[in-house]
Amino acid sequence: MEKTLAKKSFPQWIKKLGSWSVYIPRKDKEGRWNYVEADGGEVGLEVLQTTLPPKKILFPQREVFLEFAMTPAGGRETLEVKEVLPDVKPTVIIGARPCEARAAWLLDKVFGGEFRDVYYWKRRDQTSLVGFACTTPPSENCFCTSVEGSPHSEEGLDLLLTDLGDKYYVQSLSPKGEKLISAAKDLFEEPKPEVKKQVKAAHAESEKKIKRQLKDARPIAEKLKGMFGSPLWDEESMSCLRCGICTYLCPSCHCFDINDEIENSSPLRGQRVRTWDTCQFPDFTMHSSGHNPRPDKAARLRQRLLHKFQYFVQVYDKFMCVGCGRCITLCPVGIDIIKVLDKVRENGA
Amino acid sequence: MANIEDLKEEAKKLLREGKVKYIIGYGAGTNGWPAAPLFIKKHEDVDKLVWNPTCVHNLVRFLVDEKRRKARQKQPDKRPVGIMVKGCDSRAVVVLLQEKFIDRNDVYILGVSCGKTGVVDDAKLSKKMGGKKAKKVEVDAQDRFVVTTEEGTVEAAAEELLAERCLECKANFPVIYDVLSGEKTKRPLDKPFGSLEKIESLSAAERWSFWKEQLDKCIRCYACRSACPMCYCDECVVDSINLAVTADTTADEKAQRIRWVQRSAESSENLIYHLVRAIHLAGRCIDCGECERACPLDIPLRFLNKKLEKEAKELFGYEVGFDSALPALISSFRDEDPQDFIR
Amino acid sequence: MEPNVYTPQLAKIVQTKDEVVGARAIKTFRAEFVNSARFDYRCGQCAMLSVFGKGEAMISISSSPLIKEYMQFSILRTGRVTAALHDLEAGDFIGVRGPYGNGFPIDEWRGKNLVFIGGGIGLAPLWSVVQTALLRRNEFGTLSLIYGARTAKDIVFKDDLADLKSQMPVHLSIDVAEPEWNEFVGFVPTNVLEKKPSPANAIAITCGPPIMIKFVIKNLKDLKFEDEQIYTTVENKMKCGIGKCGRCNIGFHYVCKDGPVYSWAELKKLPQEY
Repeated sequence: MEKTLAKKSFPQWIKKLGSWSVYIPRKDKEGRWNYVEADGGEVGLEVLQTTLPPKKILFPQREVFLEFAMTPAGGRETLEVKEVLPDVKPTVIIGARPCEARAAWLLDKVFGGEFRDVYYWKRRDQTSLVGFACTTPPSENCFCTSVEGSPHSEEGLDLLLTDLGDKYYVQSLSPKGEKLISAAKDLFEEPKPEVKKQVKAAHAESEKKIKRQLKDARPIAEKLKGMFGSPLWDEESMSCLRCGICTYLCPSCHCFDINDEIENSSPLRGQRVRTWDTCQFPDFTMHSSGHNPRPDKAARLRQRLLHKFQYFVQVYDKFMCVGCGRCITLCPVGIDIIKVLDKVRENGA
Repeated sequence: MANIEDLKEEAKKLLREGKVKYIIGYGAGTNGWPAAPLFIKKHEDVDKLVWNPTCVHNLVRFLVDEKRRKARQKQPDKRPVGIMVKGCDSRAVVVLLQEKFIDRNDVYILGVSCGKTGVVDDAKLSKKMGGKKAKKVEVDAQDRFVVTTEEGTVEAAAEELLAERCLECKANFPVIYDVLSGEKTKRPLDKPFGSLEKIESLSAAERWSFWKEQLDKCIRCYACRSACPMCYCDECVVDSINLAVTADTTADEKAQRIRWVQRSAESSENLIYHLVRAIHLAGRCIDCGECERACPLDIPLRFLNKKLEKEAKELFGYEVGFDSALPALISSFRDEDPQDFIR
Repeated sequence: MEPNVYTPQLAKIVQTKDEVVGARAIKTFRAEFVNSARFDYRCGQCAMLSVFGKGEAMISISSSPLIKEYMQFSILRTGRVTAALHDLEAGDFIGVRGPYGNGFPIDEWRGKNLVFIGGGIGLAPLWSVVQTALLRRNEFGTLSLIYGARTAKDIVFKDDLADLKSQMPVHLSIDVAEPEWNEFVGFVPTNVLEKKPSPANAIAITCGPPIMIKFVIKNLKDLKFEDEQIYTTVENKMKCGIGKCGRCNIGFHYVCKDGPVYSWAELKKLPQEY
């Protein structure tokens, strides 16, 4: 379904979404943008990149899996284990970037499959993503077009809005998207015939504006298969602080830890909790014996790049990196994966 | 700012003569920030070294990495590494020497003076440039910053762009070095501990609310700890997972390790993590500001460390990072130390 | 209601046995599900065992799937969760999730001679295949076991091995000579070269510390075993057990889901990062 929505009608549409939990990007006191609950506040319409991607709404930093307790019953203590499923209201994330939605679409593959992750899906099934096509690149370092994405890609989105000056062109991409339009269907109009051409032109323009390119990503993915033993990884990881920022802020990174957190030790009571984790921490892969398959930074940098650009491609035929550029912008020592992969491409040439 | 041609000549000589394994310095960045750490192994690459107000990084962290690297090797190369340090960074080297974490022979210190200015703050720079990317930042003869973007140059008074910590600078040129590039000019402190005034004027309730809001943002990425040269413990007490395990570690040691903080980024855990880390850095932090710069969520971590630095000075007359023979704050006392809390 | 892959089933420990006491303690547990849950597993598969309050550990199921009355696990006491497991006695409860992993392709080995080669606790994952082969004896050719541990005390399944000697050749070894030890003295890979198992119509299945596996495979190749004739089961640090937490991967494989059983032909194609 395609419609248009006049920009002046946009705030009214948001008001009609009362039965959804609405998340929007908002600036905090320090000037950083992040997705927060709208709480009736103003919805900004700028094209920007938040610090934390919306993955934190689908895959929160902390998720309780189950509760356990030793309860006294009939003179002796019995172990009670109860699963704790998240209670999620219908949620809509307004202002998602197409690359972030694409990352959610990739995470769907990871958390689906043979073993469905019920916690992720409880949130995902209730969440609608409303994306704005990036008419200007939201970051100096984004490169979505190099990893088979685009500033107007549709994967993972329920609605895609394209800015046409005084109005938005609204593409509904799923039943969830249609529901959002139906909430205020009087505000939406049928698109006039010339609109489609304008949209096509706007989309083409937006692709040209992407500032950074990673040439030949697919051949690089192939080449990476033979680069496991290369000294390149040691050279490129010399300045890595193994701080974890690149992975925590990446929209498609999903590594996690599971731990039991005790609230009371006697009688025992606690929760089994999932938290974010990162392959960049030295102890991520350490065995109890002390043996560590990835003992140094070179091995861990290699793991991150191979996972994003080769292993995921081998399993799902897609790049796991969506080209948002956060890891490049936020790395405290300026490690730039585009430059590292450029070196991979040129290696041995 | 110093023109580092003399430093580069020295660096070339050190590498040609094999006197150092490699040199840790600053080079051009590619991710939008003009400078980045650069590791140089060959003397032909020394011309890639740069020195300008965007060289904010504290490279002393890499001396910790070098020590870890050597520990993993069977026959480590015992030559020193060369390292470019600013005044503040050099104080970090002094602390590592004071704590006997490294030996003086492990480093060849290439010092640079910040002269009458210092390094720029990325948020202030971005605001001044209206979000336009700064391609180059230089200092002119009048000690004003000159910023070049794609659209031309913009000038600014030093105070407009200087990092907050530079406004409280205690050492604008290195306090320890093997060679020094630049002048040993005086740059008076603007106001010692001036950055704390606003927050100290808040009531206890206001301060609690400020810190709760800030620390609730924390996602426990541990970037603050990873960036700090003084956070070199193999096993960190406020990290529930990190364990220093060798083949000799018994099952009991592993089983009985207490998880002082959980991995969950909840208010209580975040608070304990940051406060304990700050206390472990009392009398050791030299305010290089890397923790705050690295934090992706802009938590004002410097305040915590700065407050403890002020207490160390006011209560115990203690100032770290100038004399490597100084005993540690936590393990020494003077007869005149305050005792009014002992009842 | 959608099944929750992270929720364990409760199982009661019905029997425990101290196989090795002291520093490198190994204890064998037999457990039964509380609610007779469906739990069909194959040789070589593993289960995530929970001690609530401490955590989970991925342990291979060492009993044969042909035995329906219980599941058996042999656990080395090495850290937080395994130490907690060792403190449990018959009547205590644990959580069990699984079965996970690809298992040994034992049906493909019909008619072949099976050579089992284990080191230390590595005999535990092999044990399910050994027991299954004995229960399905006529389907296989000759069976033999080469097994070693650091010291005589560290040998696991001591009583079972004594019984086993009447059913197949069992070649034991310890690393350093001890009084009253009259079998081979040396590392397991060296014992393999000593005993020279024949590659003719044979499959070699090995498990033990990573370094032992490496040298056993090398020596088997020297004895002219083909890559497809050598099988091993690897381990890695695991948390979710279902290929989602990103931790246990070797290249594009997750050991918990795509492994842990590999033929050397398959394993050598993956990055040697385990």
